[in-house]
Amino acid sequence: MTAIFDRYAGMAYSVAFRVLKDQAQTEDVVQDLFFWLWQNPDSFAPDRGSLGAWLAVVVRNRAIDVLRKHRPCDSVEEVVLPASTNVANDVEMRSIVERVRRVLRELPLEQRHSVEMAFFEGLTHSEIAEQTGDPLGTVKTRIRSALMSVRKALQG
Amino acid sequence: MTERTHISREDLDLFAMQVLDPQERVPIEAHLRQCSECRAALARARGDLAFLTMSVEETALPSGARDRFAARIAQSPGSPEPQNPAVELTPVRRRSGVWVWMPWAAVAALLIVATGLEIKVQNLTREFARQAETIRTRAGSDARARRVLDLLTAGDAQHVLLTSANAHPVPSARAVYLASRGALILQATNLSRVPESKTYELWIIPANGKPPVPAGLFRPDASGNANLVLPPLPTGVQAKAFGITVERSGGSATPTLPIVLSGTASGE
Repeated sequence: MTAIFDRYAGMAYSVAFRVLKDQAQTEDVVQDLFFWLWQNPDSFAPDRGSLGAWLAVVVRNRAIDVLRKHRPCDSVEEVVLPASTNVANDVEMRSIVERVRRVLRELPLEQRHSVEMAFFEGLTHSEIAEQTGDPLGTVKTRIRSALMSVRKALQG
Repeated sequence: MTERTHISREDLDLFAMQVLDPQERVPIEAHLRQCSECRAALARARGDLAFLTMSVEETALPSGARDRFAARIAQSPGSPEPQNPAVELTPVRRRSGVWVWMPWAAVAALLIVATGLEIKVQNLTREFARQAETIRTRAGSDARARRVLDLLTAGDAQHVLLTSANAHPVPSARAVYLASRGALILQATNLSRVPESKTYELWIIPANGKPPVPAGLFRPDASGNANLVLPPLPTGVQAKAFGITVERSGGSATPTLPIVLSGTASGE
C-alpha cells in the first residue's frame, strides 16, 4: 500500500490542493482517501479504469465536498472510469496530461475561468453565473466548449 | 426523463463535474440508476475529466506525509506490523476477492512466463548445439583444405616426378582446372631457370576459339619446381588446351612464342 501511496499521493495531493488551497485540509483528504483505499481494497478493480485516473477523480470530488462542507455527492464506489484511462505507461500519461495543459492555456479566458471555477473551485454553474453576471446558458456553453477542446486534445 | 430520453452529454459533463444544483442532480441520478447507456456515457465523461484533473500543476507532498500515512496504517486495527510503519503494509482482515487472489495470480503468471522462458532456453540450446556442430564440421573441412593448400604451396615441400628408371628428367607440368569456378592449380617440375627479367606464364586456350587467356605468372625454384595455386581467373572459360610461355617479368597480354610446354585438356 505504501508503494501505491508513493506512486500516486503526490498527484492526489496536487489535485486536492488545487481545490482546497490549504495544506492541512489537503493532506487530510489525501490521507483519508488512501486510508480508505487500504481498508477497502476491493473498491478499486481494473474495470474502473486506471488507478491513477480513478484516484484523481475521487480525490477531486472529495476535495470539492470538503470545500462545500457537505457530505459526498458521489460515493467512491460509484466512480467508474472507462478502460481508455488505462494508458500504456507513465510516459504516455505525461504526454496526454501535457496536451491537456496546453489546451487549457490556449482556451479563451472566459472559458478557462468558467472551467476553473466549476472544476477546481467547486462552484455550481448557477453560482458561476451569479458571480460573473453571465447568463446561465452562457456559462454552460463555455464549460461545454472547454471540455470539447480537452476531448479533442485527448484524441489527438 | 425516461430511459428512452437519455441525458444530454452536456448535462452528464456537468453532473460528472458536480456543478449541477442539487435539484438538477436528482432526476439525473434517478435516470442513471436505470440506464446503463447513460452510466457508460458518464464513465466516459469522468474519464475525460480525469485527465483534466491530472493536468493541475504539481504541488510537493508535505514532508512527513508518507510517514504519517504509514503510521496511521500501522496503528489501525488489523495492521500486521503496527510497530514498523516504514515497511510495506497490507490489511489482513479486509483482504478478500480479487486482492486475495492477486498474489496467486501473480505466481501463476510468473510460472507461465518461467515455463515459456524455459522452452525458449531449450530451443536456443538446441539451436546453439546444431550451429556448433556445423561449425565443427566446417572447421574440419577448412583445416583439411588448408593443409592441402599448405602442401601445394610450401617452398620446402619435396617434388618428385616418378618416371621409368632410364628416362631423363624433362620439364613437365600438371594443371588441374575447374572452369565453372575459375579455379586452377599448376605444378611444374624440371623447369629451366629464366633470367630475372623473364617469367613463365600459363595460358588457357579457350575451347570456343577465342584468344588465349593469361592464367598466371610463376618462376621455378632452384630445383626447377613451381606452383601456381588459384590464380585470379574468369569463370566459365572452357579450356581446349593449356600452354606455358616465357614472357617479360610483368607478363604479356598475348603469348610469346615459342610455347615451352603445352597440354590438351581432357575431354577434348
